[in-house]
Amino acid sequence: MILIPAIDLKDGHCVRLKQGDMDQSTTFGEDPAAMALKWVEQGARRLHLVDLNGAFAGKPQNYAAIKSILKAVGDDIPVQLGGGIRDLDTIERYIDGGLRYVIIGTAAVKNPGFLKDACTAFGGHIIVGLDAKDGKVATDGWSKLTRHEVVDLARKFEDWGVESIIYTDIGRDGMLSGINVEATVRLAQALTIPVIASGGLSNMDDIDQLCAVELEGVEGVICGRAIYSGDLDFALAQRRADELNG
Amino acid sequence: MNKVVNTVAVVDYGMGNLRSVAQAVIHAALDTGVNVVITSSPQQVLDADRVVLPGQGAMPDCMRELRESGLLASVLDAAAKKPLFGVCVGMQMLLDHSAEGNTPGLGLIPGEVLKFELAGQIQPDGSRYKVPQMGWNQVFQKNLGRHPVWGEVPDASWFYFVHSFYAHPSDARHSVGEADYGGRFAAAIARDNIFATQFHPEKSAMQGLALYRNFLHWNP
Repeated sequence: MILIPAIDLKDGHCVRLKQGDMDQSTTFGEDPAAMALKWVEQGARRLHLVDLNGAFAGKPQNYAAIKSILKAVGDDIPVQLGGGIRDLDTIERYIDGGLRYVIIGTAAVKNPGFLKDACTAFGGHIIVGLDAKDGKVATDGWSKLTRHEVVDLARKFEDWGVESIIYTDIGRDGMLSGINVEATVRLAQALTIPVIASGGLSNMDDIDQLCAVELEGVEGVICGRAIYSGDLDFALAQRRADELNG
Repeated sequence: MNKVVNTVAVVDYGMGNLRSVAQAVIHAALDTGVNVVITSSPQQVLDADRVVLPGQGAMPDCMRELRESGLLASVLDAAAKKPLFGVCVGMQMLLDHSAEGNTPGLGLIPGEVLKFELAGQIQPDGSRYKVPQMGWNQVFQKNLGRHPVWGEVPDASWFYFVHSFYAHPSDARHSVGEADYGGRFAAAIARDNIFATQFHPEKSAMQGLALYRNFLHWNP
């Protein structure tokens, strides 16, 4: 299983939000490229970027920071990015700029036609991020809860050629209360594409639990607050995951 | 009494990613009338018309569990006479021997299971090779005597892999699909009524389901 460090970008800085609230942010770094390189040096095999301003504005907002990260990381490891990706031109610009995967979140739910076009035009580069609470999908930076069942939507998306699904349990993100392993595995088992776990990774127990279900299709886990607060040693955790499932 | 319903058994010896495999096989079996059972009963495996052998984790553990579960004889019976689909370590066990823990396999397909030795090597895109290989990779079907289980699946389709070890059949004819990861390796192997993949069809979206569906219709 791969551990994927998250770099959340707000106003050009690396921050963490508490439960998706833009007003409850903690700054962890002023230099996004340096942060990216730090994780690469610690053995990260993929990076997860979030354009927080972009997610709220509905269009890219941290382009300079993202470009500096892509330039620093180069071809060393793949980078995925979400936040404010709502049209094909934006996807093309990012992929031409060296991004491997774009993550489509809200737009996938509210504008499925766009997702379908994106899969056709950029097959192999599209990941869908589904945020959910009690099995129902949330949109718009978690501010709206829809009536869509996560499993039903995800199945439709996999038929369209989406590469993988990032599943975030929003009751837990940013609260260090442990990842919702059961809900993640349930989704992975229902799908024939891999799922990346997200939301509330807090300690080595979570890594052990996720590795135990890796082959149900849990490809990786996004590491947020825990690796910044020091609750989880990233390099140690990735080594442990490799030992468990080498 | 004639059996009316065709049955495929997914073998549960305690080491498979059973649910995902079973979900995919059930999905593939929709509208085919094939009955899918997940079973740890040797009798049910003996009674089944087709058998799927999953496997995850380390090969020494899988071999031990297969023996201790009492299912080994029924799996060997299937391998001798009915369509058998091995997945991941369920494929690796079919060979003579694995370098993982120096473990003897079932010897159903001649050859070795070797570890990726890719330290320090660079991929075409400039990144370092990582072991395990984890992610989507293209599988190139052998054109000569193309295996019927590929069916309508296009050549060079993408499938999902998670593995550190790979099959090296000693007879090249037993390799029916290959992928590149620091060199060509056998991503799918077959002999007579046995077909097996290193990749996970149950995590490979439409093409993966197509393989399971083709397997359900395969009459070697």
